[in-house]
Amino acid sequence: MASITLKNVFKIYPDGFTAVNDLSLEIRDREFVVLVGPSGCGKSTTLRMIAGLEEISKGELYIGDRLVNSIAPKDRDIAMVFQSYALYPDKTVYKNISFGLERRKTPKDEIEKRVMQAAKILDIEHLLNRKPRALSGGQRQRVALGRAIVRSPSVFLFDEPLSNLDAKLRTAMRSEITKLHKNLDATFIYVTHDQTEAMTMGDRIVVMRDGVVQQVAKPQELYDAPRNMFVAGFIGSPQMNFVDAVLRNKNGRVFAAVKDDAVLLPENEKFKALPDGKKVKLGIRPENIVTEKERFAPDEPVLHGKVDICELMGSEVFLYIDCKGTRLTVRAPSYSAPKADEEVFFQFDRNKLHLFDAETEEVIR
Amino acid sequence: MTKTRTGLGHALAYVILILMSVIFLAPVFIVLFNSFKSKLYITSEPFRLPTAETFAGLENYFSGLAKTDFFSAFGRSLFITVFSVAAIVLFTSMTAWYITRVKNRFTSFLYYAFVFSMIVPFQMVMFTMVKTANALHLDNLWGIIVIYLGFGAGLSVFMFSGFVKSVPIEIEEAAMIDGCGPIRTFFLVVFPIMKPTAITVAILNAMWIWNDYLLPYLVIGTDYKTIPIAIQYLRGGYGSIDMGAMMAMLVLAIIPIVIFYLFCQKYIIKGVVAGAVKG
Repeated sequence: MASITLKNVFKIYPDGFTAVNDLSLEIRDREFVVLVGPSGCGKSTTLRMIAGLEEISKGELYIGDRLVNSIAPKDRDIAMVFQSYALYPDKTVYKNISFGLERRKTPKDEIEKRVMQAAKILDIEHLLNRKPRALSGGQRQRVALGRAIVRSPSVFLFDEPLSNLDAKLRTAMRSEITKLHKNLDATFIYVTHDQTEAMTMGDRIVVMRDGVVQQVAKPQELYDAPRNMFVAGFIGSPQMNFVDAVLRNKNGRVFAAVKDDAVLLPENEKFKALPDGKKVKLGIRPENIVTEKERFAPDEPVLHGKVDICELMGSEVFLYIDCKGTRLTVRAPSYSAPKADEEVFFQFDRNKLHLFDAETEEVIR
Repeated sequence: MTKTRTGLGHALAYVILILMSVIFLAPVFIVLFNSFKSKLYITSEPFRLPTAETFAGLENYFSGLAKTDFFSAFGRSLFITVFSVAAIVLFTSMTAWYITRVKNRFTSFLYYAFVFSMIVPFQMVMFTMVKTANALHLDNLWGIIVIYLGFGAGLSVFMFSGFVKSVPIEIEEAAMIDGCGPIRTFFLVVFPIMKPTAITVAILNAMWIWNDYLLPYLVIGTDYKTIPIAIQYLRGGYGSIDMGAMMAMLVLAIIPIVIFYLFCQKYIIKGVVAGAVKG
């Protein structure tokens, strides 16, 4: 059993800086949870507290049903993979992988069996006698993974393990780690600032900002129903468009007035209850702005703007549109895309609109 | 941009380097060939190579060994050097690791105290140090090791600290997760990484401790002579000096340290650069 429970956990540094603020989280056994957020949001600190490398200032941390606040890292049954790989530079790959087992007084033949097994899984059998400096970045990362899996811990902690790799290798290693999770039957906690990694790998994602958890949800749920503007903006690439608007309630129908245009909002009792004239932010994802005329809804207003920049991605294009001073990003199929400096007409897909309170930045749903 | 050296520039550089090598090596060679000359000729024609007439074979060596009780002195010098260097490497590497990793006012004070000790000349603390050493009963072969540890600590802590700063702390954290406490982390992970710096520190300290004259003379006096003191005692009363024996003993004295240096020299550059360059 390796569920992990954080109960009202704080990390406050001696200078008073609060890196993690009242974090409560339950991670189920064998779950793959990704902590994501911008630099300095407290995600790595949280991971390090779980590892036992940082002291917990306040709150409780359970691994399984054991309170581990004051238990040394080596006794927590965890393994950690670091961003910088943290391999022992003077030891061979074999020694790097076997070191943890040797410290735990595992019999020699058992060590050899497990090291060879780990090396086989990671395809590094031919590197076992080399020193880390003779390895490429990708190979070092595999050795770091080997060092973690050889001990068969019940919890794996990953601290931005792919950040130092190039884009191609990152994609390959991403799927390897996912595969590893499937095969190992262990709980994975993975820290990254890369939302693509978070979306593709995690069973659940924890979005953090300034030490506070913003939302915990499955990837699709996070994408479809972000709880606030920060999550909405952080998850998704290109990021969600935000448009200033004012609510107008006319004959029981609620509109969002954007400059001279009015966008009809979906039927929702909550919207109706809001006061007329309330300042809101409309959130719309780039792929939910329709530019193909044949897909336009007849009863919806058509907005227009000028294409500033057109980025061709192959099968699709990203259009950066200037709509009366508001910058919008649109994801459109490349065959129908207008060129730069052209006038473009578009509609917001009403059912995919997100409405945020302009003051609290929380979603109104 | 680096300029390609012209033929002439190359030649000039060679001439300068050869001249400098000659200047640096000449005293050693003068001592070496004079050690084979009979003592009369050493003072009258010190710069001439031995000839059939002046060559004395190993006579100076035998007389030197007999007069100085060289092997006892050699043993003492070896004892002091080996244990002092071992103590310096062991304790200063641990100290440097601690004061680099644990950051607080006390450790930064310690660091600056060590660095400051490097710039205080020995002569300034000589008198008080000898008094203190006597009071603490450090005026013996074991005690002098403690004193050498003190004098060697400044530079050594400085060098080790520079190196530890370049070691990513994640390596130590990985060791902690792998099951090491602080002591195992140090000896099984940190110290092996420090090896090039440790060897540099060992060589630098071994050289001065082996050759040191003043400190053992002041602290343990003439009861337990080390090599430099034993050689000095070839200078007899009323200014009579057995130059032949002295030259021969000087040659014997420098042989161990030269061998030690040659064994370890490839690490010196590595160790000096290690703290400064990242990657």
